Amino acid sequence: MRTIVKALALAASAALLAAGPATAQKKGGTLTVGLELDIPGFDGLKVGVYDTAANIAASLIFDTLVKLDDQGKPEPGLAVSWSHSDDFKVWTFKLRPNVKFHDGTPFNAQALAWTFARLKDPKNNCRCAFYIANVLSVEAKDDLTVVHTLKDPSANYPATLTRPTEINTVQSPTAIQTKGDDFNRNPVGTGPFILKSWTAGDRMVLERNPDYWDKDKISLDRVVLRPLPDSQSRFASLKSGETDLVWADEFEADNIQRAKQDKTLQVLSYAGSGAAVNVFNTKVPPLDDVRVRQALVMALDRKKMSQAITNGLARPASNPFGDGSWVKCKDDGALPEDPKKAAALIKEYGKPVKFKMLFTATPRGRANGQVLQQLWKNVGAEMEIEQVDQATIPARAFQRKFDITPWRIVDFPDPDLQMFANFYSKSPLNLANFTDPDLDKALEAARTTADEAKRSEYYCEASRIINKNATWFWTFQNTYYAMAKARVKGVPKLYGGVIDVSHAWLE
Amino acid sequence: MARFIGRRLLYLLPVLLAVTLLTFLIASLLPGDLAVTILGDQATPEKVAALRAQMGLDLPLWQRYLLWLWDVLHGDLGRSFRTGETVLSAVGDRLPISLELMVMAEVTALLIAIPLAILCAVRSGSATDRFLTGLAFGKLSLPPFMVAILLIYLFAVSLNLLPATGWIPFAEDPIANIRSFVLPALTLAIAEWPVLMRVLRSDMIATLQEDYIAMAKAKGLRPARILLVHALKPSSLTLVTVTGINIGRLIGGALIVETIFALPGIGRLLVGAIYARDFIILQGVVLFVAVGFVVVNFIVDMLYAVLDPRIRHGRA
Repeated sequence: MRTIVKALALAASAALLAAGPATAQKKGGTLTVGLELDIPGFDGLKVGVYDTAANIAASLIFDTLVKLDDQGKPEPGLAVSWSHSDDFKVWTFKLRPNVKFHDGTPFNAQALAWTFARLKDPKNNCRCAFYIANVLSVEAKDDLTVVHTLKDPSANYPATLTRPTEINTVQSPTAIQTKGDDFNRNPVGTGPFILKSWTAGDRMVLERNPDYWDKDKISLDRVVLRPLPDSQSRFASLKSGETDLVWADEFEADNIQRAKQDKTLQVLSYAGSGAAVNVFNTKVPPLDDVRVRQALVMALDRKKMSQAITNGLARPASNPFGDGSWVKCKDDGALPEDPKKAAALIKEYGKPVKFKMLFTATPRGRANGQVLQQLWKNVGAEMEIEQVDQATIPARAFQRKFDITPWRIVDFPDPDLQMFANFYSKSPLNLANFTDPDLDKALEAARTTADEAKRSEYYCEASRIINKNATWFWTFQNTYYAMAKARVKGVPKLYGGVIDVSHAWLE
Repeated sequence: MARFIGRRLLYLLPVLLAVTLLTFLIASLLPGDLAVTILGDQATPEKVAALRAQMGLDLPLWQRYLLWLWDVLHGDLGRSFRTGETVLSAVGDRLPISLELMVMAEVTALLIAIPLAILCAVRSGSATDRFLTGLAFGKLSLPPFMVAILLIYLFAVSLNLLPATGWIPFAEDPIANIRSFVLPALTLAIAEWPVLMRVLRSDMIATLQEDYIAMAKAKGLRPARILLVHALKPSSLTLVTVTGINIGRLIGGALIVETIFALPGIGRLLVGAIYARDFIILQGVVLFVAVGFVVVNFIVDMLYAVLDPRIRHGRA
């Protein structure tokens, strides 16, 4: 067993940072955040997988074992250090001592083991099961040592524990047991803020935790989260000062442009990893022919699509990693955007090219569909738009009841989970039904190698194989936005679209 | 009178049964499946089937309806599968907000409509009348969401007089509470007043041609007294009907306005439930709206009897 002495290195870098431009952070004040969606709650067994609104609230109420630093590298949270077995299958975390939940009960390894077992129990049908499929067990070795045992190796496992999700957030087992059904709306964590009041659909008020283990770094007295579903009135509330910061996405390009030109406002944006992607079902004609698939990919004009749908804000993607990822490819094997060649390939195929594509039953889904339909029509392919309910897309995808389906590779600290799930031949999520021994080899090597440069090369190899065979295609990279008053400071990168205001301050 | 009320109450039952049955049918026609929604990424066909059986979703529709009705009659409207909130508490928290919005909107609309209608009726055919009826007609074709955005930009962003979004509980700060309702209520009132004005105006014009008005004029009564005491009451039957229907509509119909102004009312609850496929909440909200609609119409019927004695005595 090799131990990584991370804590020392981190302590050193923290000292360097502190010695730097130590701006006097003003203490106190209330920060009001406008979200798009109402927060459904925090119990993974009830709400399933957290959406962004829940993530944002969770980053205030709960801690995670590991956090991401400015460079996207893991740093200690409730775990102070960690080590792994040589095969990357057993990870041991040393926990921070003397930490208490908001209800006064102690945080320890037993608490972590209990909450994990609850989510993992197949009887509980947690929608989160996919995300913990690789974790066989979480066991308490002693009060402050917890051991995670994995099914398949994961070289960058601690990074995957950083997002404030239903799995990674550390929740009080006592509260879960005593509150039962009501825990969902009465969350108890160890985080820097404590839930004070919550009026569903209106606002959640959080107050600073006076006993927080890292309280010197917390400036705000109070954070108010408000669901404001309409994008125009959300922006108006920021302009008029009712909110200090609002969630945004590239579909409100106009407001983002306006905020950029406004001196009293600032736009926070983060170019994340991952992309909006689409899957070809390679077992159904005419998509079983590689020429047809290549033609459909070459027919795309991502710049034009971005212009049509997001006023040019959306950034074209040529691989599943994106600019925000540490995977950097000299050659990702992307096919050229070449409608003439695409038309020639369709002609060479000889038979009529007709197929259906799934879209969500929303105005955005329809807009996306119509743009693609037009681009493909230009090269002689006929796509029929099939709009379905958002929730039925995964179900249809699992049963392979589609010709082409949209999918998303989310911004995740490590590509392994999604790359292996989506592209490994034997994975149940190999949605394209595509098998290639070289692709499998690259993916296996990437998850058992610790060296980042080498892993990056394996992933680029995987990208080249997928692009050449055109089994999936990528449209736009993930970009996350928030708009804020200029005086809001100290909001870290929006990893995974999560706006973490726990360490923010007001100038 | 008691018999009249009793008879009216008896009519309510079949109406409520029909409404609940209809919403049950419509909800089951919506695309999407609760079991699939709950299972999400994990929706393998076997798991979906198991969960459907566990939740009773595999039963025939009529059986599910009867089971639901049985629970409702025992006061159990169910819980949201997603948030764990009971329907009663979810609706209970939000209903007062929608009611306050509705009352403020309706009162504002009447305050605009009644004086204008009287003015138009007295000067029917004049330039003022033509201008106001034209304005009302034009207003009818301006959608509320646009009015809402215009009001926000004018009063919240440019003048910074009123909040653009949100709601403050009355108990916490009564003035802030009223202020948070001004723009949404005005948005709805701007949509409602033209209809109210037009019906009152035409009824009033008819009333003013009655013999007894001529008689009152001949007796030398003051014009204001004739209008407000002798003409307004008999002219307001249609107005009461339309107001009643509007109120019923507003209970659940303020969907757009509640969404734009981020008011945590029953309309928002309904929209959220539809998006999340939260059928239990959806069903519960529709039941409440239907009951509200029926009750308001019942009150309108009662008001008829007050306004027009002939109805009360069954000689209409």
